[in-house]
Amino acid sequence: MTVITGVTCPVCGTFCDDIELVVKDNVIIDVRNACAMGAAKFLSYAAHRSLKPLVRKNGELVEASMDEAVEKAAKILVDAAYPILYGWSNTSCEAIRVGLELAEEVGGVIDNTSTVCHGPSILSVQDVGIASCTLGQLRHRADLIFYWASNPWSAHPRHIERYTMFSEGRFQKSTWRGYLSRLSGGLSRKRLQRAVNLVLRRDIFTTPEVKRRMPYSMFQKKRKMVVVDVRKTRTAEAADYFLQVEPNKDYELLQAMRMLIRDEELDVDEVAGVPVETLEEVADIMVGCELGVFFFGLGLTMSEGKHRNVDAALHLTRDLNQRTKFLIMPMRGHFNVTGVNIVFTWQTGYPYAIDFSHGYPRYNPGETSVIDILNRDEADASLIVASDPVAHFPRKTVQNLVKNPLIAIDPEVSPTTLLADVVFPSAFVGIEAEGTAYRMDHVPLPLKKIVEPPKTCLSDEEILRKILQKVHKMRRNQN
Amino acid sequence: MITLHPKHPFKAPVDAECISPDVFAEKSAKEIAALQIWEGNRKRTLSGLFKIKHENDSSSKEFTIRICGDVSKVRKIGAKMSKGNIIVEGDAGMHLGEEMKGGVITVTGNADSWTGSMMKEGTIEIKGNVGDYIGASYRGSTQGMSGGKIIIHGDAGYEVGCFMRKGLIKVHGNIGKFAGIHMRNGTIFIQGNSEGRAGAQMISGKIVVCGHIPSILPTFTIDNVRPKVKVNGEKVEGPFYRFIGDLADGGNGKLFVSKTKNTHLNSYEEYL
Amino acid sequence: MDIAIKNGKIVKKVNAKKAKIIDALGMTVMPGGVDIHSHIAGAEVNSGRLLRPEDHVNDVEVKTALTRSGVGYSIPSTFTTGYRYSRMGYTTIMNPSMPPLEARHTHEELDDTPMVDKATYPLLGDWWFVLEHLRDDLIEECAAHIAWMMTATKGYAIKIVNPGGLESWSFGRNVQNLDDPVPNFNVTPREILRGLCKINKLLNLPHTIHVHTNNLGKPGNYVTALETMKCVEDLAEGNRPVIHITHCQFCAYKGSDWRTLSSGAEEIAKYVNHHDHVTLDMGQVIFTDTTTMTADGPFQYGLYNLTGNKWVNHDVETETTSGIVPFRYKRKSSVHATQWSIGLELALLVKDPWKIYMTTDHPNGGPFTAYPKIIAWLMSQVARKKTLSKISKRARRKSLLPSIDREFSFYEIAVVTRAGQAKALGLTQKGHLGIGADADVAVFNVNPEQVDASKKYKTVRRAFKKAVYTIKGGEIVVKDGQIVKPVFGKTFWIDVKTSLPMEVNDDLKRKFREYWTVEYENYPIPESFLHVPAQISVKAEI
Ligand code: SF4
Ligand SMILES: [Zn+2]
Repeated sequence: MTVITGVTCPVCGTFCDDIELVVKDNVIIDVRNACAMGAAKFLSYAAHRSLKPLVRKNGELVEASMDEAVEKAAKILVDAAYPILYGWSNTSCEAIRVGLELAEEVGGVIDNTSTVCHGPSILSVQDVGIASCTLGQLRHRADLIFYWASNPWSAHPRHIERYTMFSEGRFQKSTWRGYLSRLSGGLSRKRLQRAVNLVLRRDIFTTPEVKRRMPYSMFQKKRKMVVVDVRKTRTAEAADYFLQVEPNKDYELLQAMRMLIRDEELDVDEVAGVPVETLEEVADIMVGCELGVFFFGLGLTMSEGKHRNVDAALHLTRDLNQRTKFLIMPMRGHFNVTGVNIVFTWQTGYPYAIDFSHGYPRYNPGETSVIDILNRDEADASLIVASDPVAHFPRKTVQNLVKNPLIAIDPEVSPTTLLADVVFPSAFVGIEAEGTAYRMDHVPLPLKKIVEPPKTCLSDEEILRKILQKVHKMRRNQN
Repeated sequence: MITLHPKHPFKAPVDAECISPDVFAEKSAKEIAALQIWEGNRKRTLSGLFKIKHENDSSSKEFTIRICGDVSKVRKIGAKMSKGNIIVEGDAGMHLGEEMKGGVITVTGNADSWTGSMMKEGTIEIKGNVGDYIGASYRGSTQGMSGGKIIIHGDAGYEVGCFMRKGLIKVHGNIGKFAGIHMRNGTIFIQGNSEGRAGAQMISGKIVVCGHIPSILPTFTIDNVRPKVKVNGEKVEGPFYRFIGDLADGGNGKLFVSKTKNTHLNSYEEYL
Repeated sequence: MDIAIKNGKIVKKVNAKKAKIIDALGMTVMPGGVDIHSHIAGAEVNSGRLLRPEDHVNDVEVKTALTRSGVGYSIPSTFTTGYRYSRMGYTTIMNPSMPPLEARHTHEELDDTPMVDKATYPLLGDWWFVLEHLRDDLIEECAAHIAWMMTATKGYAIKIVNPGGLESWSFGRNVQNLDDPVPNFNVTPREILRGLCKINKLLNLPHTIHVHTNNLGKPGNYVTALETMKCVEDLAEGNRPVIHITHCQFCAYKGSDWRTLSSGAEEIAKYVNHHDHVTLDMGQVIFTDTTTMTADGPFQYGLYNLTGNKWVNHDVETETTSGIVPFRYKRKSSVHATQWSIGLELALLVKDPWKIYMTTDHPNGGPFTAYPKIIAWLMSQVARKKTLSKISKRARRKSLLPSIDREFSFYEIAVVTRAGQAKALGLTQKGHLGIGADADVAVFNVNPEQVDASKKYKTVRRAFKKAVYTIKGGEIVVKDGQIVKPVFGKTFWIDVKTSLPMEVNDDLKRKFREYWTVEYENYPIPESFLHVPAQISVKAEI
């Protein structure tokens, strides 16, 4: 039995790196420090895995040798006039680097899952810029924390405890006490208790008795948390203040806030269902903080207005810096979705939706993004890496995806692998294969190899390299 | 005059920056046939994808290219052109007349997104509908359309005139959200309805909505009611509410909205 | 004269019958170019790339059978960066600003930057460990931590940016001068500079401290620059430099505001001419659209306020900050034109070319691809006059350039573009063609004995744009301005051997957890992470 410490969790964008794993006979038998989502991954990752490369013959997926599968995959890509290479946010940067070379070599379009999550955020960053930071900066200094249209409680379970309200920094104290008093329900209390133990490294046996109060805490000189959302989420319940906004009205609200923080007046009494007096109070609190931060989620980028919602949020942050220090950060979902944007950008200049069909990178989301390409039925082959578009894309998009040759590299059996023509079962990166990934705040961390993968399962990087070599060879023979 | 007929329906996008009077005018028939054009990642020639017919047509002095058939997958038709005519009888693809510097493009069917983006001069007329980002800038740039005219007889999509600097966009039909976003100057004239958020983050310029608009952004302030408004020399009968904005961006743009079609906005009158 | 190359090194002679012979008669032969300060990789550079699709869209590199595709202009993608440097005869590039926490990122990008050897400087001036140790005057302990950090981040030199200002910026503030204490830490920029200068000597690092001064980019800041140089004057021994002031143009401003901006180049040059403990690089401004990026968060914020352009800010916990703002230098702007003039004035007024090196602080003053232009300006008064005639009148009136008739020789150009830089960096095998040097050679199609650069500056400019040959580690990698052989290039990093290394105990690990949001064991980069590591061991005096 060995204990491995400092393991990074290859699940969500929080990308915790303090996981401890107990390993016995090449099996992970215990997980410490992780949240339920992370622990589940480490303990039961292999439940739905496939072991052998598969190739579709006469309509059936049958087992094949690695060489045969590689040959078939390479042929599909070389023959395609407009192939797409999609996925990437759940694999290592090392694999992504090979993927980019492959996309360039076959003259394809390479895109990653940010096309369906924070792609819009990136578009507005390209218009406005972004005032941001690493998460530790907030742990040490932020006294006003906004979660805007994001629900870390369920999507990024340890975000609050590691980086914001609950964490303890040089200039800011943890506010776990206030939390416990606000939260009801044994389960959540237990979860927080565990987190407290972890953060403060001491046990809390009794829950302090604090009377529930109205947001008077908002005017105290201490760390405060505000949630803005269309409905009262679990995160909202834990907040010092919850601002409920009418669905699809974030844009109006953000733009109005920009005026209010400059003490300007509005011609209306209500914005997005919130009385202007309330907003004025919020504006005062924003301006009065030492260091504030907006975390925003898909509720902002995928609701009506999309990147323009983020555009307004980025502007608001910028404007706030005239009065105090304010920063903003997207709540990235997959553990390496930040990394995939980063790697794409250093090799090509652009973060996603890159079209190599003319021999050099071109970028124009809406035109060169995979969903739009599929909706217009332009692609004639695809390679999917560590992603499951068949389950997540709209129906029409999926129809156009699966009617053409489809290659899937994935450790798990998924709707996409079931409909693919060539399937490569890969090793689980971060558990069975090492590499690098980037936390949501651009901090790079190592993915570790904890156990040996089954012999037939290579890493994404190795599989891609094999396909690339084959493609090179075929193209050389063609010329 | 040169007429192009697509030889087969296209699946992969076709990049045809070379379909421009400027390019054709200086070339022999043979050279035109050999012009390079991309179909997906394959290099083709113009004659490989199109039947090319040369006609001697003395009626027009201007060089004219006529495209008959469905070229909705063919992008960048007339990009950077500075003179002559292009007539598309059918639907045209994205980036039609991008960075155009002069001349006239007419499309009898629909046109796609980024039509007339970054255009500087000239005229584009679309008889059908268009997509998003008409007259817009490239990603990350603030240089949208800086002159010329885009006339759309049908409906237009989102973010029409994004970062527009000068010129006129006229939409006879309805328009999507965020018309004139980040607009620096110029005019957008909408005869139909707006889906809303017109003039978002505009700094200057003029937007006229003759039809219905669900609401005005809270960052606009009412300024006046005008009996009529002038658009490109033409008088449009009102009355119109005149709003100023986008104040969040310190803007001084003018947003005219029909008073009669938007009775739900009359609460603004108390501020007058 | 013949230059013999074998096994990647310059040797006395080789068997001429078996060797490949390159006839460079009538051409300029120089060691491969060395750039002491060019932002080519890492978090900040990459955020700049992401920020600016409009910067790349019209400047692309198409894939070839040998090379990868990419995009260019002010912040080229990694492959393109390597190719473009190599085509200009450069073989060694120093990436000057790396947040230690994000060192992995920098190295991943450097690995994808082919054709050149490289190294990178961790930002250490505002690291909490440094601030605390120097406040308590614990020089040796601090030195041990820096030694650890150099190894952990695979870094090359101590980079200091606006000392104290970055920690202040974390709460939206800045420091005003060398004696303005850092809020919450009670240590002054002067103490940081002096402390790290002493530590640099204790550790025997090959390069000096590499300093971006306080008050950068502000009128009147030449005083700060002079004070910064003076503040370590007494720490110098003999004629060895102890401080490098980088992109000096940006801190050589006189005047009380932008309207009264004028050149402080004379004062700075005068000081440098009389003191041997300082080296400088230019930070020359080019009239073009570019992207400014520094670790100086408050400076970048000021620039955003000035221009209203898009703005990226990225603060890194316990270490540093950074900012990015696109910027266009216009000939007709009197401020920009004055900046252009100051850069050249500095290079021309500092008498000894071994003390000032040619840079644009890429991409801050302009992209590195503009180097041939600067060479022409340095070598030819006519070239300078021609540009002068096109700039803002106000700036022309203020410019010192008309009064300077110095013109660089080819030899001096070789010093400011390679030899001097290599010497300042302590890269003993670079920047010269003596026996034992790395066989990095650049051949340019201009005859130094026949071409009068003063008149034929266009010929010179053309020649330096595209090397006829670039030889990297004994291999021909560029011929006639085209890449003929892609190579990786090494990454130099300093392994500091201390007799009392930093003790890694539970206490330190706890401190780690308190200071950063990553675990101790995930912080250092193993050597195996680098594609082609080149370790340089130095023995410290602690
Ligand atoms: S919060 Fe995310 S990264 Fe952290 S343990 Fe849970 S799933 Fe893993
Ligand atoms: Zn610099």
